[in-house]
Amino acid sequence: MLYEKHCSNCHQQDGQGLRRLYPPLAKSDFLKNNFNPFICTMKYGTSGSIVVNGVEFNKLMPGVPSLTELELAELATYITNSWGEQGGIVTIEQVSQALSGCAPQ
Amino acid sequence: MAFYRPAIICICAVGILMAAGCAQKRQLPIYGSHTFNGKDTVYHTIAPFQFTDQDGAAVTNATFKDKIYVTDFFFTSCRTICPIMKTQMLRVYEATKNMPDVLILSHTIDPEYDTVALLHDYANRLGVESARWHFVTGVRDSIYKIAQTSYFTAALQDKTEPDGFIHSGAFMLIDKKSRIRGKYDGTKKEDVNRLIGDIKILRQE
Repeated sequence: MLYEKHCSNCHQQDGQGLRRLYPPLAKSDFLKNNFNPFICTMKYGTSGSIVVNGVEFNKLMPGVPSLTELELAELATYITNSWGEQGGIVTIEQVSQALSGCAPQ
Repeated sequence: MAFYRPAIICICAVGILMAAGCAQKRQLPIYGSHTFNGKDTVYHTIAPFQFTDQDGAAVTNATFKDKIYVTDFFFTSCRTICPIMKTQMLRVYEATKNMPDVLILSHTIDPEYDTVALLHDYANRLGVESARWHFVTGVRDSIYKIAQTSYFTAALQDKTEPDGFIHSGAFMLIDKKSRIRGKYDGTKKEDVNRLIGDIKILRQE
């Protein structure tokens, strides 16, 4: 499973993250409000400070450049429809559009 | 049937006594080579070391004098087994919070990147006290050497690995005499449960 392979070591099986080290993905206001950065971060990584559900996080997250648009769509769909959430299906078109705004860093 | 009842009760009582006796006498093994100096058995112990923790304080063998400690090797930018190890080590930390004689020592194997300031931030974000859980950095070769020759665990740089290092996910249990008393897979919840149980056994020695 993609989530277990690429995400759950840090963000945990239940999407709760780990203390103030790794941010939660479950019920994350940051993911809801930042769809394009969410997709770009999975592929290309991110660094710097972010605030998730009122808590500040600041740790480098390495991306997984090998993820395809289909895999990114599957991961985004899984993350936004798990842990009691129903965000609906994320399409390849949405992923493609998000990626067009971010370049490999 | 009444005739047999005392016999059954007797057997049960013996069984309970034996089980209780075994539980009390259970001893943890002492790892490493044993030699005999003519008077006493000499066990493998952790070699002298000096590292620096997240507060910039020196951490040496003296830090762990008369303490039991659990130790591991990791690095903060690792995304493979280290986050799982830290999740499990947090369980050890929580399980031992009322045990003043039990400490945790986590060594970075990437000391160039994991500076004192970075380890300070890491520990702070994990929400743990530096008096109970030391995150240490130091001279790279000293860290690798102590991993391999004192703790019998693996820590090496290898550019071909996904994150650049080969290292073991082991948690080692060290007693108050600096001897290795247990080795556990720090990525497996069940094995960490065993470690938490063994700490209690060790405290009774």
